[in-house]
Amino acid sequence: MLQFLFARIMAAIPTLLLVTVLVFLLTRLVPGDPALLMLGDMATESSLADLRHSMGLDQGLLQQFLIWFGQVLHGNFGQSIQTGQAVLPLILQRFGVTLSVVLAAIVIASLLAVPAGMLAAWKQNSKWDIGLVMFSTFLLSIPSFWMGLLILLTLGLSLGWLPVVGYVSVTDNLQQGVLYLLMPVLTLVLVEIGALVRMMRASTLEVLRLDYVSHARAKGLRERTVLSRHVFPNAFGPTWTLIGLTLGNLLSGVAVTETVFSLPGLGRLLVDSIYARDYPVIQGCMLFIATLYVLTNLVIDALYPLFNPRVSA
Amino acid sequence: MKKRLTGVAIVAPLLLAQPLQAADNSVIHFALNQDIRSSQPGVNRDGNTDDVLMHVVEGLVGYREDGTVGPMLAAGWKVSDAGKTYTFTLRDGVKFHNGDPVTSNDVVWSWQHWTAPKTQWRCLREFDGSGLIHVTSVSAPDAKTVVMKLEKPVALFLDSLARTDCGAAAVISPKSVDANGKWIKPIGTGPFSFGTWKHGEYVSLMRFADYASLPGKPNGFVGGKKALVDEVRFMAVPDAATVKAGLSSGAIEVAQVSPIDASDLKKDANIGIEVAANAQRHGLLIQTNDPLLKNVKLRQAIASALDTQQIALGTSQGMATPSNSNISTASAFYTAVEKQGYRYDPTQTARLLKAAGYHGQTIEIIANKRSTVPSFDMAIIAQAMLQAAGINAKVTTMEWATQLERYQSGRYQMMAFTYSARFNPALAFEQIVGDKTKQTRKVWGDPQAIKLTDSLAYMDDKSQIQTTVDALHKQMIEQVPLIVFYPGLDIVAHRKNISGYKAWLAAAVRLWNVSKA
Repeated sequence: MLQFLFARIMAAIPTLLLVTVLVFLLTRLVPGDPALLMLGDMATESSLADLRHSMGLDQGLLQQFLIWFGQVLHGNFGQSIQTGQAVLPLILQRFGVTLSVVLAAIVIASLLAVPAGMLAAWKQNSKWDIGLVMFSTFLLSIPSFWMGLLILLTLGLSLGWLPVVGYVSVTDNLQQGVLYLLMPVLTLVLVEIGALVRMMRASTLEVLRLDYVSHARAKGLRERTVLSRHVFPNAFGPTWTLIGLTLGNLLSGVAVTETVFSLPGLGRLLVDSIYARDYPVIQGCMLFIATLYVLTNLVIDALYPLFNPRVSA
Repeated sequence: MKKRLTGVAIVAPLLLAQPLQAADNSVIHFALNQDIRSSQPGVNRDGNTDDVLMHVVEGLVGYREDGTVGPMLAAGWKVSDAGKTYTFTLRDGVKFHNGDPVTSNDVVWSWQHWTAPKTQWRCLREFDGSGLIHVTSVSAPDAKTVVMKLEKPVALFLDSLARTDCGAAAVISPKSVDANGKWIKPIGTGPFSFGTWKHGEYVSLMRFADYASLPGKPNGFVGGKKALVDEVRFMAVPDAATVKAGLSSGAIEVAQVSPIDASDLKKDANIGIEVAANAQRHGLLIQTNDPLLKNVKLRQAIASALDTQQIALGTSQGMATPSNSNISTASAFYTAVEKQGYRYDPTQTARLLKAAGYHGQTIEIIANKRSTVPSFDMAIIAQAMLQAAGINAKVTTMEWATQLERYQSGRYQMMAFTYSARFNPALAFEQIVGDKTKQTRKVWGDPQAIKLTDSLAYMDDKSQIQTTVDALHKQMIEQVPLIVFYPGLDIVAHRKNISGYKAWLAAAVRLWNVSKA
């Protein structure tokens, strides 16, 4: 296992290096720069030159990259051009918000989707199956911004149950913090649950058709035992992988949901930084996200044997 | 049991939400479409940053409601030495938020702070001789007097001092920075002091109990100012739909909104809408260096093919006052001459196109989809009108930073654009007029227009300014370097329990003299 993990970590290093180079180049190749955006339509040639100089943008690309990369190697991701804040603490602070929403959403979505998918497969072609498939397809077809707005307008505005605007950290005030997270979490649960139900249903159907399941039933095992001991472990593998990929994707930032619910999360930070051409933050976020994605999938792979006995560590 | 559980599930959030719904009459919540950039006025700034910080800091002078300049921290000033020396007398009883009295030494310190290159004040180049103005010295002969000397007389000096994007050259306490000169927070003289800034969430300003207001009625950034609530909280709410929901629910009490959102919100009985023309200008820029568009006949054909009134009304939900002037309709210099604009005349278009030798070449109109400006809508309607007149216009949508780069470098044919607010006509024309070989961002490079615009900076006689502005306007309509459709709109939606809020020329937020019932 340790050897496997070590190999995966080693394999991730060139990926991350490539990400740093690509992100650096791509952000510089896009037209517009932070100095111009800061000065807007009133930028004179001299004020623009001054600002570009103070930001180090008048240096060569290679030199800029080497300075930034050297700082990153020392754990310094630089400072935000927009706000002057240190980039790494800023990313970690924003990531905390995203993490609290995403973890809650993925746990709830998984807890609901896995039994629902299994039920649909077990009762294939029944009303349950048709209903669940229709519902999950319906959820899959709704874009996250629309889902968010529907929830916001219903629970927040029409019913007035939950706060419409603002954010309170759960570390500052647990009760208030939870209230502010309910709608974004519900949005993500509804957005992600469809795919998980469909995946779990498909893999369960596949397993249910296998000979060993018929054999287990022929031996007289109770249906509950057949499903929990023989079907679930084999059927859950693909869903587990999907959960891992979904988690990686969501942790990278749920910009739309964060924007609708005014959450100061990682996704919003990245999107705002791209619009503002805040190079240090864009680069820092992308490197952080790439690392996160690699680590999430590493953890998912490492835990895979727990759910699928056919895969050994 | 099941019913009871369902009941608990429904009621629990209600109970939890109770504290959130409770009205707090001492706090006004204002929605910003994004967080402020910094707490340093005129340094790392944008419109939101200016809006917030102009509640905290004040300069020697400020803009009045009609865009003219009036005294703020200065009780008055004298101009001597043939316009090269400005002697300001400070008002009595003005204190900083930390309780220290404001003295002329603080004004000198503030000026030195802003003009130190390491501060990166964005307006440094406006005063160091790079442009028209060169401030050669600032001194404090006594505790109440500040003397600012210029290399040569420039009537635009006071306007430049009052500019909000320059932070009104704020007078701040030296205690705004630490012993190493590092910025802490603005300790100013405004009706609100800088409170808590939670990055990405909100910035709160607290009522300054010892605020020394100017006498009289509120008047732009000057005049009587009074903080009527304990706190104003500027919340970062990036999504316009969420702002609308927040206004309807009462979580947000005041917000600047788009015309289309204002139309929707008007239907809500709890919400009032304030509208005023501001000093922005929405329109189409035309690249006069373009091989095709350098032909003035073609530019005139374009102007006559556009029903500019319809474009103005269509993109503003009927709220705008159509105007082809580069001066806002709310400006003191907007007269009958400025009301004369382009005439929609398809017959004339056909004649001009023939005279221009136009043969259906494609003309690209660049636009962006920012929600705060009507760029895309203007471009789409203009495209349809031009195509109907036989001009092969094509809209290309770009992200704002990309469009701005094209604007700065002059690489465009036409562009749906919004100019930021300029109150003084000299500054408004300076934005568009200039030598295009030296400054590629300039739109209008006509030598006569450059001469007239340059002369405006040195004029302080109102009738002389008016004559020059009128001449520039007529020339602009004749040469069509750009087509202004209407001045920007300051549209503010507020809950009906908020009273005293006024939209105005500057499109700047003013939460002093605003109360909450």
